[in-house]
Amino acid sequence: MGSVRGRSPFWIVAVISAGVVFLLPLYWAVVTSLRQTGRPLPRHIEWLPSPAIWSNYRTVFEVVDAERFALNSLLVASVAVPATILFASLAGFAMSQMPHRYRTRLVAVSALCLMVPLTAIWIPRFLLFKEAGLMNRRVALMAPALMGTSPFFVLLFLWAFLSVPKEVYDAARVDGAGAYRIWAGIGLPQVKAAIGTVGVLAFVHYWNSFVEPLLLMRTADTFTASLGLRMLYSLDSTNWPIVMAGSVLTIVPVVTVFVLAQRAFLRDFRQVEGRR
Amino acid sequence: MMPARWWQRNSQRVALGSMLLPYLIGLSLLVIGPGLAGFALSLTDYNAIQPPSWTGLENFRRLPGDHIFRIAVLNSLLYIVLAVPIRLVGALALARLLQRPSRGSLVGRAAVYLPTVIPDLAWALIWLWILNPIYGPLNQLLGLVGIDGPAWMVDPYTARFGIVLMMIWQLGEGFIVCLAALGSVDPDLPDQAAIDGGGAWSTFRGIILPVIAPVLLILLFRDTIFSFQANFVPALIVGKGGGPDYATMYLPMYIYNTAFNYLRFGYAASMTVAMYGITGLVLLLQYRLTHRWHEGFGRDG
Repeated sequence: MGSVRGRSPFWIVAVISAGVVFLLPLYWAVVTSLRQTGRPLPRHIEWLPSPAIWSNYRTVFEVVDAERFALNSLLVASVAVPATILFASLAGFAMSQMPHRYRTRLVAVSALCLMVPLTAIWIPRFLLFKEAGLMNRRVALMAPALMGTSPFFVLLFLWAFLSVPKEVYDAARVDGAGAYRIWAGIGLPQVKAAIGTVGVLAFVHYWNSFVEPLLLMRTADTFTASLGLRMLYSLDSTNWPIVMAGSVLTIVPVVTVFVLAQRAFLRDFRQVEGRR
Repeated sequence: MMPARWWQRNSQRVALGSMLLPYLIGLSLLVIGPGLAGFALSLTDYNAIQPPSWTGLENFRRLPGDHIFRIAVLNSLLYIVLAVPIRLVGALALARLLQRPSRGSLVGRAAVYLPTVIPDLAWALIWLWILNPIYGPLNQLLGLVGIDGPAWMVDPYTARFGIVLMMIWQLGEGFIVCLAALGSVDPDLPDQAAIDGGGAWSTFRGIILPVIAPVLLILLFRDTIFSFQANFVPALIVGKGGGPDYATMYLPMYIYNTAFNYLRFGYAASMTVAMYGITGLVLLLQYRLTHRWHEGFGRDG
């Protein structure tokens, strides 16, 4: 059945339709973001903006302090993403080197923590940060990096370190290398794909984060990109071209990172399939 | 030196322990501690200004009589019933479609995953626009083919479907997991079935589905649990705070309102404890249902 299914016209039509359907919301956002502000809203569907008002994007920067919001988000990500890679890879590596019985317990704890919905810990976490005097401090947004942001990232590193042949580690141990030297010198160079994947996912996480800044950040000077977008929306919520321009601006960094990384990100499966 | 003896050297144990320390401290402070503190908080009255006062099970006694809480539970359950199966079947169908590696399917995979990386707030604002009953592109597109589109977020009935609709696009994680699961199926199995004269559907149902069923079950559980956080931003922005007429008042939305707008942290915490209980019951029900389904496969085969 494989060869029949391969590149049949049905398959091509199905793939193109799926692609169009999944990209359509973003396309509509871009088209609307280029509409002239103040013109009556369209009564019929518009596939192309005429004329295209690129200055709507400049208007976003004039209405709100978009540079500062973007810089705040970048500041959080630039600390939290490397810290995530550091702490998640350390924990994953340590778990990969432990006797089986300890590892199983740590994996179980990680999996259990992964199951806790964030909604359930909003309130105690908020009260904790409040008591610790971290309200309105950007460092509060970086704090989850300490635990590798998500137990999922730690498990990802664990699987990557476990897939390195045991002999590679053993050889280093025979030479008398300590745990940190094996992690840095032998382990990390072997798990570059995991570093890339965790890096991309962590960047997307911190850039996109909305609820945590919503709860913790109170004044506009500490607002992140998403909070700034909410501010833009609440200032003039029916000015759709400007709201959409702000949304597109918030999207651009993550989409750029994703498009640059998607080869590595989605290639894993190609390798798996290529090996058969 | 053998690995076992390497582990037994105290210096190496200390080194590995110190590597784990940040992770364990982080987990304790940010997940396990708050998780447990939520249970304690649910037994108190606390407004974050005066110290908490112990009220025992009073919060839980009040929950069943809380009209909005009952609506929020029903809305959350309805969301799970509608969104979780559609997202799961969609992710599996798309993974099956784009399973074979080629230039076209790699571009397709990127397109399918892309909406998942869009920030929640931007995604919600885009859908607030798309679902606008008069000016929004969706109803205008439906108008092109002669369909008079629904009022979406203006009508409490269609608002529920509006939220489910916008969440279908963000199924990328399930899609990736399904791709990986399909990639792990022994490629000789389907070929063998084709030689035996099985059609594409019966091959899928009889051979591939049983192999990947455990992964689908985990995805089902995961998506159910995560539906309790995923629909907060849509309810806040697209539903404008749980509306219209409480149609998108899901549990996270009501918990947020109760805690951060009305400053009733203890009462809100008791709702999160109830949320754990409800999630547990739903997972148990799903497990029972799929268990029978799984056994059915055994009989078929």
